[in-house]
Amino acid sequence: MLLKNTYNELIKIVSKPRSFLGFGALSLLIAIILFAMKADGSSIVSMVTDSFEQTLTFNGNVINGNLIAFIILQMLIVHVPLLIALVTGDLISGEAAMGTIRMMASKPISRTQIVLSKFIAGALYTLLITLWLGFLALFVSHFIFGSGDLIVLNSDGLVILPEADVFWRFGLGFCVAFLSLLTVSALSIFLSAYSENSIGPIVATMSIILVFTIIGSLDASVFNSIKPYMFTTHMAAWRSFFSAEVPFNAIYQSIVILVLHIFSFLGMTLYKFNKKDITS
Amino acid sequence: MKQFVLFIAISFSCFSHAQNAEDVITKINNKFNAVKDYSVNVYIQANIPMLKIMPNKGKLYFKQKDKVKIDSKGITVLPKQGFTELNSFLNEKGAYMAIFGDSVMIRGVKTKLINVIPNNSASDIILVKLWVDLQNNIILRSQLTTKSNGSINIDYSYTDQINYGLPNQLKFEIDVKKFKIPKSIAGDINKTNQQEKTTKEIDKGTITVNFTEYKVNIGLKDEIFSKN
Repeated sequence: MLLKNTYNELIKIVSKPRSFLGFGALSLLIAIILFAMKADGSSIVSMVTDSFEQTLTFNGNVINGNLIAFIILQMLIVHVPLLIALVTGDLISGEAAMGTIRMMASKPISRTQIVLSKFIAGALYTLLITLWLGFLALFVSHFIFGSGDLIVLNSDGLVILPEADVFWRFGLGFCVAFLSLLTVSALSIFLSAYSENSIGPIVATMSIILVFTIIGSLDASVFNSIKPYMFTTHMAAWRSFFSAEVPFNAIYQSIVILVLHIFSFLGMTLYKFNKKDITS
Repeated sequence: MKQFVLFIAISFSCFSHAQNAEDVITKINNKFNAVKDYSVNVYIQANIPMLKIMPNKGKLYFKQKDKVKIDSKGITVLPKQGFTELNSFLNEKGAYMAIFGDSVMIRGVKTKLINVIPNNSASDIILVKLWVDLQNNIILRSQLTTKSNGSINIDYSYTDQINYGLPNQLKFEIDVKKFKIPKSIAGDINKTNQQEKTTKEIDKGTITVNFTEYKVNIGLKDEIFSKN
């Protein structure tokens, strides 16, 4: 019954035009980035290498598919949560707004299974968005710009990673990025259980991400104690795979915190939906 | 009369030393100018503050007077100055004056310091110090001080191409200004600010370039240097 309902949920997602908005927006944004890098890539890259170029010269294929993929991932991973929330934030509240939630709950399927099927469908949608992002970022940019060593700018300097040492980092980076987006998906489904309209959970999800991200980027020591527990702090964990020495312990910690958030949001969604009054 | 003789003697002494220093540079130039072009395999190791890069291999092409190109599979980092600037500068007759300094032992070889001072006040080069092995007419160490990039020290080692004055190893020591990269540009917002506390102090970085399999005067075409 769970699988059948998940299939139904997927059909519902596919039948909504907003579900394709994410793929369209990603394709358009990546096309714009690729065009900009092709037209003016060297000046964009010199912004990164500028501090060193007074004394050093960088030789070789600096603007390559790996660098473009990294730039795309860094730029879009901030915006993709909106595209995810646009669909997943509507999964429960959309049913409430249309009045179909009562009909669903009257079918021979438990409320827990309804929530789980919606969560699985949302997770599959998130996976597809991540894969699409990965395909466009990695394969299309490699096709256009070729391959090469990757220059990564961290706050403690520049790291140049050999070409042969990059692909596994992208692979694992995308896995962690998927986990981050799944957290966003779980959050928006959780907020969706509290709402009777679609806009509320989408806006609330983005607002929470925005506020947490700003708190995370502030260098105020007053927030230092809460930063390690905010999921937005760990949403950037994918970037750690691009350090010269990968901090696996910190990444494991981030994965644990993201997974804990996912299960907490899912648990709270189940609790709320099971208690939800659908008669009014 | 005694004073006049002493003045003449000192003047002559200074003049003859200046001449000698420039003669040595001329000999070094002649040696290097005998090389019309060359290609050589390079192995580059960089140890630069705030820059992490693995050692890399490549092929370096040179053609007189100052054409240099490096072909490598990956990204290589080289000092902005030090490869051709020094030879180009030393080849400009009348652009500088050279004065002998003290004698120093470098890796067991007796060298003589030559201070090279540009005549043009607008020149980017402020001072060049050359430690020269007078027996072989080769530079064993140089220090290039420029207005734009601070100072760069270069240590030279020679083996099979000593007749052309081509080194088998160059070790560059360069000044690198420390700087702070904002989190918003770097993108790693989850890093604590402890690692970001950097000042404007200058740190030293080293780049070691090993040269193997020189092919000298092989008639390299100009197109090699124009290819991307």
